[in-house]
Formats: sequence, C-alpha cells, structure tokens
Amino acid sequence: MTPMTTSPGRAPPQLAGGWEAGLLIFLVLLYVAGAVVNPTFFGSTEALHALLRDTSRVGIIAVGMTFVIANKDLDLSVGSTYGLIAVVFARLFASNVLDLGVVSTVLLCLALGAAIGLVNGVLVTLLKVPAFIATLTMLFIGRGFVLALTHGQAIYYSGKARDYPLFFYLGETNAFGFNNQIAVFAIVALVGALVLAKTRWGYETFATGGNEQAAVYAGIPTNWVRVRAYLISSLAATVSALLAAAQDKGATPLYGVSWELTVIASVIIGGASILGGRGRVIGSCLGAALVVLIDKVLRQGWPITRTVVIDGESIEVSARYTLPAGAVLVFLGLLLVIAVLIEPYLIRRQVAARFWAWIRGRAPPPALEVGGVALEGVQTKGAMASDAILSTKGLGRFLARRDALAIMLAATLWLTGVALRPDYWWNLSNTFAILLNFTELALITIGLTYVIAAGDIDLSVGAVLALAGSTAAYFLKVLGADPMTAIAMGLVAGMAAGLVNATLTVGFKLPAFIATLGMFYMARGLAAWFVAGQQLTGWSETYNLLGRKVNDVLLHFGLVLPPGLLRSVAEVVSIQTLWMFFVAVLAGIVLAYTPFGLKVCATGGNLRAAAYAGINTNRVRFLSLMLAALCATMAGLINIAYFRSFNPVAGQFRELDAIASVIIGGGSIFGGHGTMIGALAGAAVITLVRALLQLNVQGFTMPQHWINVFIGAILIIAVLIDIWVRQANILGRLRAHLAGGGKTRRRSS
Amino acid sequence: MTDAPLPRPIVEMRGIDKAFGAVQALRGVDLVLYPGEILGLVGDNSAGKSTLMKILTGAYQRDGGEILVAGEPVQFKSPHESRDSGIEMIYQDFALCGNMDVGQNIFLGRWPLKGPFVDRGKMYAEADRVLKRLKVDVNSVYQKVESLSGGRQQSVAIARAISFEPRVVILDEPTANLSAMATERLLETMLELKRQGVAQIIISHRLVDIFAVGDRVMVLKRGEYVGDRYIRNTDEHEVLEIIVSGTRERALTADEAGARRPQ
Repeated sequence: MTPMTTSPGRAPPQLAGGWEAGLLIFLVLLYVAGAVVNPTFFGSTEALHALLRDTSRVGIIAVGMTFVIANKDLDLSVGSTYGLIAVVFARLFASNVLDLGVVSTVLLCLALGAAIGLVNGVLVTLLKVPAFIATLTMLFIGRGFVLALTHGQAIYYSGKARDYPLFFYLGETNAFGFNNQIAVFAIVALVGALVLAKTRWGYETFATGGNEQAAVYAGIPTNWVRVRAYLISSLAATVSALLAAAQDKGATPLYGVSWELTVIASVIIGGASILGGRGRVIGSCLGAALVVLIDKVLRQGWPITRTVVIDGESIEVSARYTLPAGAVLVFLGLLLVIAVLIEPYLIRRQVAARFWAWIRGRAPPPALEVGGVALEGVQTKGAMASDAILSTKGLGRFLARRDALAIMLAATLWLTGVALRPDYWWNLSNTFAILLNFTELALITIGLTYVIAAGDIDLSVGAVLALAGSTAAYFLKVLGADPMTAIAMGLVAGMAAGLVNATLTVGFKLPAFIATLGMFYMARGLAAWFVAGQQLTGWSETYNLLGRKVNDVLLHFGLVLPPGLLRSVAEVVSIQTLWMFFVAVLAGIVLAYTPFGLKVCATGGNLRAAAYAGINTNRVRFLSLMLAALCATMAGLINIAYFRSFNPVAGQFRELDAIASVIIGGGSIFGGHGTMIGALAGAAVITLVRALLQLNVQGFTMPQHWINVFIGAILIIAVLIDIWVRQANILGRLRAHLAGGGKTRRRSS
Repeated sequence: MTDAPLPRPIVEMRGIDKAFGAVQALRGVDLVLYPGEILGLVGDNSAGKSTLMKILTGAYQRDGGEILVAGEPVQFKSPHESRDSGIEMIYQDFALCGNMDVGQNIFLGRWPLKGPFVDRGKMYAEADRVLKRLKVDVNSVYQKVESLSGGRQQSVAIARAISFEPRVVILDEPTANLSAMATERLLETMLELKRQGVAQIIISHRLVDIFAVGDRVMVLKRGEYVGDRYIRNTDEHEVLEIIVSGTRERALTADEAGARRPQ
C-alpha cells in the first residue's frame, strides 16, 4: 500500500468564503434595487450612512451571537439585555434619578452585562437547562425589569450629556464624516472574526459545537467554552446598548424588543448552522446588514400614486404604502425560518455547486460520503425517580408521583390566599373568578402537555392565541361575518399556524424551538396587522356567548332557571370552564389510557427506540403540535368572546405560563413524561401565584411587570427541579452518599 | 520469543477489583503487556473488558489492586493523566468533530500556536506527516471529517492517537462499524504501528481480526481472568471454548499452556 496523502496544498480560507461573497453581492443588488425604486430614501449617501450606523448595533450583538450559535447554543436574551442595559444606564446616569458619573455608570453596566451572561452560561452548562428555555426566561425577566425600572416612561438625559462630551462622542459623526459607532462595529467585527477563525478560543468553540463529547475527550473545557460564549454575547449586547445610550441620550422601554429575532436571523443568514459547529463572524455581519436593510425597506414602505378627486378633478398624488407597526415581525419571522432551512437544504446538499455544474454541462460534484460519526447519543432519562414509585406505599407513593409537587403547591397556595384575605378569598365569586383565569391557561396547557411529552416544544402558543382571536375579531367586526364563520376562520388561521409549526419541525426536521420561535413572531405580527388602525370590538352578542356564564347563555335562549342552588351555580360557572374541563377529560383519557398516549410518551422518551419499535413518530409529533395549536386557537376564540373585543396583548407571556405549568405538573423538558392532572394542577399553581400576587393585602398590590419576573423565576426553578430532583435524583444520591460514605472510605483504605 | 528473556512489561495490572454498587465487575484481574505486542482482549458481554480498559486509562477508579506502567506504580485520576504516561484509547464512536477538517481533528484541543493564533502551517504539515507514517489514505488534511467514510474516520482517530507518540494504544471494538475493506486496511495500520514498537490492546468480538494480527489473546469471564494463549499456539476453537466454559481455577497462562502443548 502506498501513501496516498498528498502534501498539504493551499489551506482553505477561514475568515470568509463563497457564502460571504454571495451575500455581499446580494446586498449590493438589493440596495441598488432599493435606490431605483425609492430614490428619495435610498439614493443618498446619507441613507447608506444611516444603514451602516443602524447595522452597527445589531452587528455587534451578532458577533457575540455567532460564538453562541457555533457552540450549538442559543441566546434569546440579547434583546432584553440590550434594553435593560440602556435603561439601567439611563437610571444610573440621569440627573433626576441616581446621577452617577459616566465612568462608574459604564462600569456598572458592563458588570451587569457580564452577570447576565454568567447566569445564562451557568444555567445552560452546569445546571443543564436547555438553552432556549433558560434564555427565553431571561428574556421575559429582563423585559419585566425594563418595565419596572421605567414605569413605561422614556428617560432622557440630553442636558447632562453635554457635560461628558468624550463618551457621547461615540454616538456622533466624527471628523472623517462617518459615525463613530461604525468604527466601534468595525473593531468588534475584526477582533471577533480573528478570534473565532484563527485562535484556540475559536477552534474550541467549533469543536464544542460539532461534537461536545469528542471535545471533552480531547480535554477541552467545554463548559467554560460555552459560558465564555454567553459572556461574549451579553457583553456585545452591553456595548451595543452603551452606543445606543450615547447616540440617543435616553432610553425607552421598547429598546431591543424582538431584537433577538433580528440578531439570530442575521447570524443564520450569515451561514451559521443552528445545529452548531458552523459560523463566521464576517458572514454574520453581512447578514446583519441584510436584515437591517430588509427591515428598513419594510418599515419605510414603498411609494405609490394615489388618485385623489378634488372638485371633480382627478389628481395623482404620490403617497407611500407602509406596513402597520408590528407587521414587520411577520417578515422577519419568515426570514428566520427560511434562513434556518438554508444550511441543511442548500449548503449541505451542495445545491449551488451542483447547479453550477449543471449550467456548464459538467458532471455534478461527488455527493458527500456520510460517515459513521456518532453525532447523537441515545439515552433514556428519568428512570431512577420513576423506579422509586414501585417501592413505595401510601403517602410515599403519592409523593413519588411526578405531579405530587404541583398538587401540593396548588393546595398550599390556595390556603395562603385564605390566610391573607380570609374575608373574601373563599367566596364563591372569587373562586370562580380564579377558575375563569385558570381556564385560558389550562386550555393551552392541555395541548402543550402533548407536545412536551412528545419531546418537542411550542413557543408560539401565546402568539397563536392572539392570531386566532384577531382573525375571528377581524371577520366579525370588519367583514361583518356571522359567528359560525368567524369561529371557522379563527380555527383555520390557528390550525394553519399549527400546520406550519408541524411541517417545519417534522417535515423539514428543524428543531422545534426554532420553528415555533419563528411562528411566535409571525403569528404576533399577523395579529398586529389585523388590528392595525382599528378598534376590534362591538359585534354580535351571539358570538360572545362563548365567554359567558351558563345562566347568561340560558337567558339568551329564553330559559329562566328557578332560584336555588342550580341557579346560583349557573350564575358563576362559565361555558368556557365547562368546555375546558370537557377537553381536559378527553385529552387526559387519551394520554393516559390509549395507545396514542403511550406512543406520545415513547416518542418523547427515546425517539429512535420508538421508531425502531414501529411507532410512526413523525405522525405522533405532527398531531401533538397540531393539538397544541388547536388548544391555543380555542383559547383565542374564547378570549375575544369573554372580553367582547380583541386586545393586541392577548396571550402575551402565555407561552411562559404554559411551559411552566407543564413542567411544574410533572412534564419533563426532555420529553417522555406528562399527565393531564399534573398539567391542570400546574396551571392552577401559576394562576394562583398570579392571583395571590395581584391580591390587595393591606393596601399593597404588586405591579404586573414584577409578576412576570416572578413567573419567569418560577419557570427556571421548576425546570431545575425537574432536571436535578426528578431526573438526576440528586436527593436520592445525596442520601446514598451520606449512608454509604463510611463504607466506601473503608474499602479504599 | 519464548526462549529469549522477556523484556520489561510496558503495562502490568495486578489484582484489579472494581464494583458498581452491588455488582462486582472485576475480581482480582491481572494483565501484562509487553512493548510492541498486540494483545486481544476477548470475552462475553459484561465480562469486564471495557471496565478493565477504562480503569487502565483512568476513566474509572479501581477499588483494589495496582497498576505499573514501565515498572512505575501509577494512579490515574483521569484519561489525561494516562495520556501523559503514553497510554491512548480510541473510543468506539471515534470521538471526532465532523464539522472540522482532518488536520484540526488530529490536533483537537492542542492546536499548535504561533503568537495568539493557531499555527495552521505547522498543524497541517504535522497532520500530514502522521498520516503518512500510518500509511493511510486520507485524500487531504483539509477534508471535513463528516464527509469521510467510516473506515477513514477510524484512520483519523488512530492518527490522532499516534500523534501523541504513545507507547500503548487501546482500541475498543475498532472493526465494529467497518466494511470488510476498511477492516483490512485497519489491520494493516495496526501491524504498521507494531513495527514501530507501539504496544496495542484490542477489544473485539471478532476473533478473526485478533487472530489476523494479534500476538496473544486474553479471556475475561464475569469479571475474572480465565486464561491467555499465544496466538501461534492456539486456534479459534480453543479460545471459544475458554470463553464459554473457562473458569478461574482451570485458567492457564500463555506460557503454561505453551509448555504443556505437545510439540
């Protein structure tokens, strides 16, 4: 056998490649097209300068995010970190609040940014919380803090800014005629590109993202590599927020809202893979420029000519068609989903190279040999805690149930309510008011239990609720449809969203969190589009019966109940609560007692084993995601009937509540577990926590945004309990360690 | 070989005990390995082969017994410490990063530096040298590992192990996922390593492979040593018989068996 290894020729480029070149060409073409279509807006150097300036802040965060995504992680908290730092800067610096100097303010902001990154990193690595759930919670907590610190108001400090020209010069145009932010961006991008492509830090990042197990064998400290990436990402968001502070000399609570979408889309368009191990900083920066440009085009709108009739004369007036606020999210969400599909379907399959060969009439390049690298390990989790059930009796048997925690918590919380407000808490009306709040959450939770038990996640349930509600409201109010048509249209819209989720997740094999994250933005954006510029309220009362009490419904049909117990119950029980319980019982029976329910749990417990056993796992996952969308849709239809109007904030934070409910109720974030009783108890816990926090105790009520922070903390704690107590059985191991400590020591001596 | 005085063993394990909870995985197992020797380690499932090797590399900690490497008593707390003593294990799933190229994988975690940057010139030249030394056919050190076939990935994993200049290489089921052609190439690679004086332990279910390249075969059964044989003195039938019905009491070492054998 002769050595066939050729001497190493030219090494492949690391900083940029064909993908980056293509992006650059596309960017230039898009800009030129924009300049032709809308010369007033894109035709000037001023516009190009503004584009670069606005790209700077997104681009800096994208540089940090590239490290995180190359590690096979995700950081959804960057948008709220950006907003929080800008607001904290304002609070610390503004003369009417804390009035610190600029140096101490900047140092405190950097420390806060580092702390957020550290918390993200520790949650994801040491505590093993899935990245999307940890950082999504951080997103909501950060947003809660932003609202709490601003009270919803903007804070400005332009007066004081004049005393510190050196720092605020960062946001100004410099002597060379371009904004200093662009210079900062260029430096950050250059350093980031070199570190990721050419240093050990970067190589370690790719090794960790490509095959973490192999990286560990090779002695790479993968936990530190991942924590480091989160630190870089958070600090990049901090730097970006400081630039915003220098430019705007103030902050509003809306800073950075949905920026995580913009940034992640940028990085993915830039050629990084959501499956880890791939990504280049230069590509991410070009991706950021592309996304910002698309965003600008969408927000700017395009010029149209409108014919106006004045005094019988038709006059052509140039006008501009702009998208309503919020609708831009639809396109950005769509962009994210399409971008995620690029890597597995275009790049890995060498579509460009094959197409080029086909054009030239040559043979296509050889298909990649797919080797036997063990990319995913198979493991069954949570067996230890379940085994404990078999060896227990009586109370112990109850405590060993996965949903025991939720049931006990719900009871404790209810009793706490009685203790705090003995005068009113246990009243029938209050009880049913809580039950009413419970209904919406419980309905969503029912569907989500299936999805989580099947090993997926649906982050879009709250947004789908809003989409279905707004669609029905739009048909009722604007198109004057009858109630049945409106319900049908709401169902169609909601199920279409579910179909997209399920197709992307099952058909295109995207991770569920990224597919449903795209839907999260798209559905919310569509809802905002429907509601734009009009009040969706005031329609036929027949529709609103969906959200009324039983007695009101009976009265509507001319039935009068005789006074008595039946009537007082009918006066407090809502139709929706009855419907929710009906759905819950049905779903509970299917999950616990039918083959389909077992298939759901098998699919979530070990996908490969379930598939080998002949279970059509694709069908199971598809149906579960559709069910989650159906439940969210029903909740949305009921929501607008109950309020007699559609409110754009309907269903906000509901994904957080619902995921927390499922996890508290015994579901595992890694799939394979879930009961309907547990999910309902979990939803009860969340509802009661919200009700208790809103309770007026001796004149004090907690503001809404703090409640969201609180719920976020509960979600994280629930996931940690799930991972460490239920799955890893840390309590049992501790007990065994304490009991067996003496024995092992004796043997080793 | 039997006539010449034996050189000092490179690895000596004496009376190794290991328990996992109530399960006694290993009971007083001895193992000796000489420089340049290829030792096949065979036995039924759960015989303790992988456990013994993981104790040798420091992935597991032994409960009792002692290990000597080149005559020095050692106590490895992790695979990194055994690597420093020249013991390298190649895992069944190769432990490579598919998204990185051949050169980057061979130097995984210890890429050479030039100032703050990775010295790519040196890295690829060294990787090329190691591959040539192994005489394996990987087209280019720039090729991504995920685009290689299983056999070539195995070669990269071995090249990676060789680049540490080890004295002992442990292969865990190296032929399990390979085609017949790739197995043939792997065995050639192992013989090449043997010529260079590297001792090897091969855990395998396939006796054919061990008989093709091995010098000695050692049998474990339910955590106990039940005998070893020189390959030149035995056949597959005898080894199978030891695997199935051997006991500790009737165990013979290779030298004892060789002496008894009617010449």
